[in-house]
Amino acid sequence: MSLIAYSSIIFLALLGAPIFAVMASLALVAFYFSGIELSAVAVEIFRLASAPTILTIPLFTFAGYVLAESKAPVRLLRLSQAAVGWMPGGVAIVCLFICAFFTAFTGASGVTIIAVGGLLYPMLVKEGYSEKFSLGLVTTCGSLGLLFPPSLPIILYGIIAKVDIDQLFLAGLVPGFILMLILGLYSMYQSRGIARKKHTFSLTELKSSLWESRFELPIPVFVLGGIYGGFVTATEASALSAFYVLIANCFFTRDLSLSKDLPRIIVESLTLVGAILLILCCAMGLTNYLVDEEVPMKILAAMQTFITSKLLFLLVLNVFLLIVGCLMDIFSAIIVVVPLILPIAEQFGVNPLHLAIVFLTNLEIGYITPPVGINLFISSFRFNKPVLELYRASVPFLFLLIIALLIITYIPWLTLFWFNS
Amino acid sequence: MKKLILAFDGVLESLSKWGLVSSFFVILALSVSSIVLRWLGQSPGWLDPLVRYLVFICAFLGGSLATSRGVHIRVDLFTKLVEASDSKALHWIQRNLVALFCLVTTVVLTKASWDFFLVEKEFGAPSFLHIHSSNLVAIIPLGIGLIALRFFNQLILGLYTGESREPDRVQ
Repeated sequence: MSLIAYSSIIFLALLGAPIFAVMASLALVAFYFSGIELSAVAVEIFRLASAPTILTIPLFTFAGYVLAESKAPVRLLRLSQAAVGWMPGGVAIVCLFICAFFTAFTGASGVTIIAVGGLLYPMLVKEGYSEKFSLGLVTTCGSLGLLFPPSLPIILYGIIAKVDIDQLFLAGLVPGFILMLILGLYSMYQSRGIARKKHTFSLTELKSSLWESRFELPIPVFVLGGIYGGFVTATEASALSAFYVLIANCFFTRDLSLSKDLPRIIVESLTLVGAILLILCCAMGLTNYLVDEEVPMKILAAMQTFITSKLLFLLVLNVFLLIVGCLMDIFSAIIVVVPLILPIAEQFGVNPLHLAIVFLTNLEIGYITPPVGINLFISSFRFNKPVLELYRASVPFLFLLIIALLIITYIPWLTLFWFNS
Repeated sequence: MKKLILAFDGVLESLSKWGLVSSFFVILALSVSSIVLRWLGQSPGWLDPLVRYLVFICAFLGGSLATSRGVHIRVDLFTKLVEASDSKALHWIQRNLVALFCLVTTVVLTKASWDFFLVEKEFGAPSFLHIHSSNLVAIIPLGIGLIALRFFNQLILGLYTGESREPDRVQ
């Protein structure tokens, strides 16, 4: 009977049922067949209200949406072009910086491709880069920046895995830059031999664009400087960022109207937040049931028969997570998979911070992994190109990101050196 | 029937939307005040929990809007295949089956959380600002009940008229 119930739910999940309903029904069925009162699911949902960092999710998401809706992308693009546009591969490097900045704030990569991709893609093509490279770069960059603070997946991971979010923000910095460095080097390599327009460095233009971006540039300083300077907590930094972007964009730059644009942006950003928090609520019952039933330990026991070392475990974990990343949305994957792999990784001696960064890097790659990496579909929609073309364009980038993933996985020092010293 | 359902759903949509916008402004104002008060050496103990419960309310209001706009996070591989097949019948079955499943799940969950509310009403205690804990627990049946109503409207519109509210794009 229980098998029929579980199979039906999985069938409905594949048919497109919302993940939150799937999680809730799995929890209800599991509790029912274990003879536990169904109200226990509600008790688990209620626990979410006591999570101290829950506030960071709506506030940082709102800040990201405001930035994406304002003219900040245009101003930052001008600044990046003035700063690095003269270098070989400069325009492509601009693309990396801009996308990393916006993805770190919006978390959901779709927003980056929709808001910024439209500016960057024609610019790359105009510069002489091939259409394939330009499409691949913009699609890949759509999720670049997920390892940088205050990315929503990092916060969500911290809440689920009960890992300190401040430490996670630090841990992701170097791996995030490694991803950017590898893509930057590839972009420089690609820029060889194309009839690029000559950009000369202009100090006047740099100064002027710096002045124009004066309201956006302090935001990372607020977040990182505030948290690591000990002035504010991550939660407080989210409140200050949201308040600051609201004031800056409605009153100083006047990009957005308080009465016309703001309610729309609040509704759009909080609809996404609502969808994520609902999954979080409903998954709490299910994951606690699985942990109570010692499912991770049973998986561990089964794994230990053929996986004997930490290195092999990490390799298997990477393959597993790459598959998860291309089949599941990043938020659902964090909520569902993290509680299961956390105890197993602990048994193999993987540091929780290192595990977090490996996990998030895998899911970042999952965004561009065919056949269902979400960035591929968003780019296909945004640039009106067949998905198959996007598959082809993303392959070289996928290969490069996997190299970066292996570096991040097998050199834990890159993630953990902040804490060792 | 169609007009009635659409009007009812419109009311729920407006309630969710304006509830979300006003909750957000209160959250932002309280969070910033909390920081300023802490810097001034004063930190009322009720501020943090109040803000967290407002975020909790936003989760359900946002969920209600995600339901009406069809932007819940889902594994949409098969949905895309069904849409690509151009078969209206298949699309109709898939959409209504999913809506029915979500309705049943949310109704059962509403009942389960109502039971939790009743227990809390009997055995709970006053919390911050002297709010009884059962009032805070009541957010869950009310919130999930609201989402259940949205799925009900979606199912009725889907079954009898072959229509649903036109989803807006979020991302």
